[in-house]
Parts: sequence; structure tokens; C-alpha cells
Amino acid sequence: MTPNSPSTGSVPHSAGSGPHSPGSGPNRRAFLASAGFAVLSVAGAGPLLTACGGGGSKNEGTTTGKKLKDLLPAYVASDLVRPDIPAKNGSAAGFTEALPAAELKTAVPRRLGRGGRFTVMAPIWGNVPEQGNPYWTAMDEAAGVRVKWQNQQGDTYGQKLGAVLASSSVPDAVVVPGWELTGKIPSAIANKFADLGPYLSGDKVEKYPNLAAIPTGAWQRSVFGGKLRGLPMPAPTTPNIAPFYRADLFEKEGLEAPTSAQEFYDLCKQLNAPRSRVWACGDMTWAAWGVFGVLPEKPYYWKLVDGHLVNRYETDEYLEALEWSRKLYSAGFVHPDAKAETGSIGDLCASGKVWMYCHDLSDWYGKAAVQRVDDEKFRMEAFDYFAPDGGAPTLYARPPADMWTFISEKADERTVRDILALANFSAAPYGSKEQRLRMYGVEGVHHTLKDGVLTKNGKGNNEVFSTYEYLASPAPFVAYADLPDVTRGMVGWQQRQGAHTRKPLFHGMMIIEPTRYTELNAEFEDLEKDVVRGRKKVSDVRRAASDWKSGGGDKLRDWYRKLLDETGDSAS
Amino acid sequence: MRLRHRLRRDRALLLMVLPALLLLLVFHYVPLIGNAVAFQEYDPYIADNAFQAMARSPWVGFEHFRHMVDDRLFWQAVRNTLAIFLIQLTLFFPVPVVLALFVHSFARPRVRAVAQAILYLPHFFSWVLVITVFQQMFGGAGLVAQVLRDRGHEGFDLMTDPGLFKFLVTFELVWKDAGWGVIVFLAALAAVSPDLYEAAAMDGANRWRRMWHIQLPALRPVVALLLVLQVGNALTVGFEQILLQRTAVGPTASEVLDTYVWNTGLDNGNFGYGTAIGIVKGVFGLLMVFGANKAAHLMGEQGVYKR
Repeated sequence: MTPNSPSTGSVPHSAGSGPHSPGSGPNRRAFLASAGFAVLSVAGAGPLLTACGGGGSKNEGTTTGKKLKDLLPAYVASDLVRPDIPAKNGSAAGFTEALPAAELKTAVPRRLGRGGRFTVMAPIWGNVPEQGNPYWTAMDEAAGVRVKWQNQQGDTYGQKLGAVLASSSVPDAVVVPGWELTGKIPSAIANKFADLGPYLSGDKVEKYPNLAAIPTGAWQRSVFGGKLRGLPMPAPTTPNIAPFYRADLFEKEGLEAPTSAQEFYDLCKQLNAPRSRVWACGDMTWAAWGVFGVLPEKPYYWKLVDGHLVNRYETDEYLEALEWSRKLYSAGFVHPDAKAETGSIGDLCASGKVWMYCHDLSDWYGKAAVQRVDDEKFRMEAFDYFAPDGGAPTLYARPPADMWTFISEKADERTVRDILALANFSAAPYGSKEQRLRMYGVEGVHHTLKDGVLTKNGKGNNEVFSTYEYLASPAPFVAYADLPDVTRGMVGWQQRQGAHTRKPLFHGMMIIEPTRYTELNAEFEDLEKDVVRGRKKVSDVRRAASDWKSGGGDKLRDWYRKLLDETGDSAS
Repeated sequence: MRLRHRLRRDRALLLMVLPALLLLLVFHYVPLIGNAVAFQEYDPYIADNAFQAMARSPWVGFEHFRHMVDDRLFWQAVRNTLAIFLIQLTLFFPVPVVLALFVHSFARPRVRAVAQAILYLPHFFSWVLVITVFQQMFGGAGLVAQVLRDRGHEGFDLMTDPGLFKFLVTFELVWKDAGWGVIVFLAALAAVSPDLYEAAAMDGANRWRRMWHIQLPALRPVVALLLVLQVGNALTVGFEQILLQRTAVGPTASEVLDTYVWNTGLDNGNFGYGTAIGIVKGVFGLLMVFGANKAAHLMGEQGVYKR
């Protein structure tokens, strides 16, 4: 998501450079898991906290059944404004028009905050605005709180997070993106953050109507170590990584978007022209996961084959996807900057140096918003996923929430209530005054609305960043009134992909693996990059998979088997 | 009585040293306690602060050190680190000496100042910038590759070639820091008394003779000192620079000890193992300093400390 853009409901992520992700290939950590619909696993009188594997810590496993049901807030739907494009197949809802301020509804009739002061640590993709700027002041004033923001650069957020959680001064509220749930962070969350059950479980959430309207699936993903600890940012369950192509240039050349793996390859061959400084594509590995139907990553990386659990790393699809991506590299179709993982491939595509690339869906709006200023005809769209030989692809649903805010265990009740008041304010749905203020700041100061077009001005772009939405957001929506065709394109793409999306095993559950397995998968990320770039062979992946099995993978399989027996198959 | 007398006499000096001592204590000695986690399955998140977390984490003895012995990725990092060190020692280390002699040879102070400024400048660029400049020049879509393609040749990509990576990082280091390294040597050259040059010139020594018999001997102690320090840092061959280029060439060619500690210790949360590698690295560095210092003494140099 571009830092300044309204919510797409998709996961924001880095596009700059930093030790973790130099360059702008899609940030792997934004892709951690894919999952599906907000359906609870219904085991009548299921186990309490399912900790298996023997001798595990109290935080391992997942929570299901009655215990889970008792934890979750009661859902009360809220739709102030009917979306132009209703959500379908797990997609976001789409709004193509901006309402005049006078027509906006009120989603928070009574100011819930009691003026408390607290600190919030959150990632930011862009420059940190000054403390006390008009936007923050207006938000504080409207919600009845006084926030001291501790914004950290999103690209290197994980490094800060690890250190802050290990210290004795954890901020009152901390935003944690799902892709940072690596190593010991999940158990840190269960140790350091407050149980919000007493404030939100069941009917207690009624005090916070906008939080009550957050889909239940998002809340289920917020249960860590047997307690409801997270305030979720709900996300569509449709794929997040989109294979983009320059639709305007394709049209000009009379080309069609590819519909099979071979067609993609042939198209690359036709378009690749290094002598003219134009390359066919960026790194397509992540698109290959979709094309070849590869399982998502931890913890949704299992499937049942004849009753046996098979891991992503053991599947043929995984190897085939790598092999195909490798072919694109060895044929010289991939832009050298993508190979070196430097610079922004999206920008190269926008400037016509690369024909196709894959990235977080948010680039659809991000690139169009910048390019349309100079070039009205600019059109970048995503093509539909296809199976390798054409036809319908096998896609896996993404988790219904992949970003949370947690409240420090040490915060007193008054502070917790104030933070919840702010979260309730941030979760106000589209069409409300509160949502307009959160996304666009103050009219006249940060944005103008003319002829139905909302425009942020310079001050708006400098101050109004997506930080509040991480505290809690409404059900996912896409609302770009300035570019309605982009809104329609994005939601339409989500719905078409959503039609081919299936739920992986354990879908929607927050699973914490025992810490002894945290390093088990560490090698594969490097290996994938080595293989597609031709530095290692596909057979090296087979060997790594067999090392994985003997090095703990089989034991992990047994652990998941027990979990599956206890939770039931959510994919069925 | 005598001690008190001395304390009173040196009071001003001692007060001046105090802040530095405190810094040393707080930032170098106190953190040494943290090395204890090398013998633990350390989890910083189970308690409120680091000391409590250490108290509660289970002890595992020398387990992490044993693991190091058959950790093939660790040994790969050791091999890469030593290879890069040796390449830098032979290809980087002499460059500032040569540059210093060159800059020193400019008679006009203004020319010398300009040359120095140009040489120092890249030192102030961040690694991100240096690598971006290199990518623009020598990358697959860079200037050199385009010139070659325009002339009908195959493209060329220095930035993603694992075989040349160790030379590439040395090349980058030379461009960024060789100019900065000149400062120390220029200072040593400036300390040479002009009488020596005059006397040599009177005796009919030409430029090469003067360099050989006056300038190089003047540089010898500095060279020896820096060499010993460099050897002590043998296992520290650049962290950010290498981390930034990791994907471009892959860990097989680029993983060094520091990046390995980063990846296993911080990224994967295996703090105990990361610390254990840090200790091994520190002990190795210390032994290297002793060894190199001994060698310096044998060659008649002073080294870091006197015998």
C-alpha cells in the first residue's frame, strides 16, 4: 500500500530499501500466510488450548471450540453506506464515490476516550510527521485521547520490534504485522501483552460498536496463547500478490494477457529486448506460487494427501514453480535489477522498462495515482491467475487478519479503555465522518473535495499517514474515489481470483509452533532465491526437503497431526 | 598516604578521564555479562528485563559451541570471511599507502587539498548509495552493460556474479574508503623533517631513492601498527555492505560471520547461538592480535604495545 493511500484492506509493505529487503520485490514477510474465509472451526466441545507435542510451553498450539467461542466478541454488522461493489468470494467491498462532508454519517456518537495519555509504537512507510501536527491533534480531539506516537520505519520494523519487546519499557500499544511473527515473537506476544477478553469477549464488545463490526474471522486470528490479545486489521482472504502488466501498452501492441505458463513464457520471449533497455518481467516467483497452486507458508503449509500431512516443501508444485521461475531467469527475461534485488521494479514497469512484474495488490492504485498525473492513459492491471496448462488455478485463501495492535500487560484499565476508544474510532466504516478524518485529515487543511473528487494536498500527504488504521480497521474495503476504474479493477480482480480460492488446513487459526522448530524452515527462503537465479539446482531443494524431514520436519508433522485431530479439518 | 597524594595531584586529569571510563564501563564491560547467554537457550521475552530473562532461561552448557562444529553454514561463513579478509589485505591495504605517496608528491598545497577532498568524499556516502552507484555502473542494466550491448556484445553483470563477489566488495571498499585511509599516512609523511629530503638531494638521490630511503621507512611503524589492528579485525569484513548484496549473489558466496550472526541470532531469534559465535569471533580476533604483534616485534617494530 502506498503510505498515503486509503485502505485497500491489503497488507501494507515496504517498497524501499533496507537490510531486510533491499529493493522492492514484494516483501516476503507480507506474504507469510494465505488463508480464507472467516469461518470458525466448529468443534462442539473442542479442547481448550490445544498444546501438543509434549512438554510445550503454555502458548503453543491454537485455541478452538467452546473456549474460542467464549473469547470472541459478538459480531454486530454495520453498514452506513452500501458499497457500489459488494464484497464477494472473500474480496474487499468497493466504493467508487466520495460523499460530500454534509452527507457523511456518524459512527461514534459519543466520545469514548477519557483524555488519557498513552504511547503507540507503529510502523510507517514514509517520513514521520511532527508530534502535535494538526492531523494528530484533530484525531486525538475527536477520539478523546492523547497519543504519543513512536513511529518506526516499516522496512526495518522487525529489528526495532524485537528489541522493544525484549526491554522493560514496552509502549502502551504496539502494532505487530503478521510477517514479523518469526522466531520467538509469537511467544513474546503471549507474554507481554494484555488479555483483552475482559473488555471485548462476547457482548462486552457492545460498548465499542465499530469493533463489534469487525468480522469474527479476524478476531479468531487475534487469539494468542489462549487469550484474545490482538485488535485486528481485517484483510481480504483473496490473493494479495498480483501479476501486473501494462494494460495500456499491451493494447497498443495488440497483445493479450497470458492464460497459461507457456503463453507467459512465449510472451516474455516476444517482449524481451535488453538492447532497447526493456525486459519482459521482474521476479515472478511469487506469481508462480499462484500459478502452480503452491501451498502458503507457515502455519498453513500442509495439505492432506491420502490422509497424510504433506508439507509445502515436499510437494511437486513447489518444485515446478521454482523450475518455471528459474527458466525465466535463465532465458534472460528478468530485469537485472530484480536479479540483484535492488531498486523498484514497479517503477521500472511504470516507466515502460519492464512489461510485467508481481507485487502486493496495492501497487495497482499506487502506480496509477502517480502516473495519471502526467499520463492520463496510463493503465496497469493485474492478469488473472491461470493453471500451468491454462484453465482454473488452485489458489489458497489468505488469513482474514494479518496485522494487529496489542496492549501492554502493564497498562491500567483506564489506559486500556482509552486505547480501545481510539481503536473504535479508527474502525469507523466507510461513509462516516470518523473514517473521512482518519483517511483524509481535516477538510480545507489536508484535503479538498471538488466535483466528487477527494484530493489530499501537500500537507495532507505529509501528515496523514496510515498509522491509525493499524490500531483497528473495519471490514476490508477499497475506496479510491479519484480513480474509480482502479477501484473496480482491484475488487473485480479479487473476486475473480476469490472464485478459485480454497481454504488451506488450519485456515484462520492463529497457530504458535513450539520454539524448537522456529529455525527449521529458515534455509528455504535463501534456497528459493538461489534456485531461481540459477545458483543452485532444483535437486538441491529436494535434498533440503529431505534434510528438513530428518532435521525435525517429521516431528513437526506429528505435532500438526495431533493439532489436526483435535481441531478438525477447516478446509473441508 | 602516598596514593592519596597522587590522587590529589592528578585530580584534574583523573576527572577528565572519568567520562570516558564510565562510557567504557557502561557500553563495553557491563554488556560483557550478556555473553552468558551463549551457554543458555536464551529467550529475552519471558521476563521484564534482560537480567531476569537470563535468570529464567535454561542453561545448556557448551551445546551451542558443539553445534558450531557441525554447522555447515557456520563453516561456510568462516571460509567466506577469511577469503574476503585475505583479498582485502592484499588488494585494499596497500592502496592508501600508494595514494598517500601520490598526494604527498603534489607540490602545490591547493592541488593537494583538492585531491584530498576528492579522495575523502566517497567515505561519506552510505553503503546503500555506494551499492546503487555500482549497480548503475556495473549492473546488468548498468552503463557498462549497455555500452557493450550497443556495440553488439553480450551484456555483463558484475553485481550478480557469485564468483567475483569477493573482489566486488573489495573494489567497492577501495572506492569508498581508500581515500579516507590516506589521512594517517599523510600525517606520518608530514612528520618527516624537510632536512632529510634536502640532505638526500644534496647526495644526489633521485625521487625514487628518496621515496625508498626516506618516505617508506617513515611509514613503516604506521603500516605495522595498522596491519596488526587489521589482522585483529580479520573476522569483521563489512556487515551492511554484504547484507545489502546478499540476495544478488546468494549466501553461499556472501555469508560472512557477522551476517550469519545477524540471521541466526536476531532474525531467527536464536540469541544463544548467535552470542556463542560472537565469542568465538572475539577470541579468534584477540589471538590474531597477539600473533601479529609478536610478528611485528620480530621485525623490529613496536606494534600495538611494547614488550
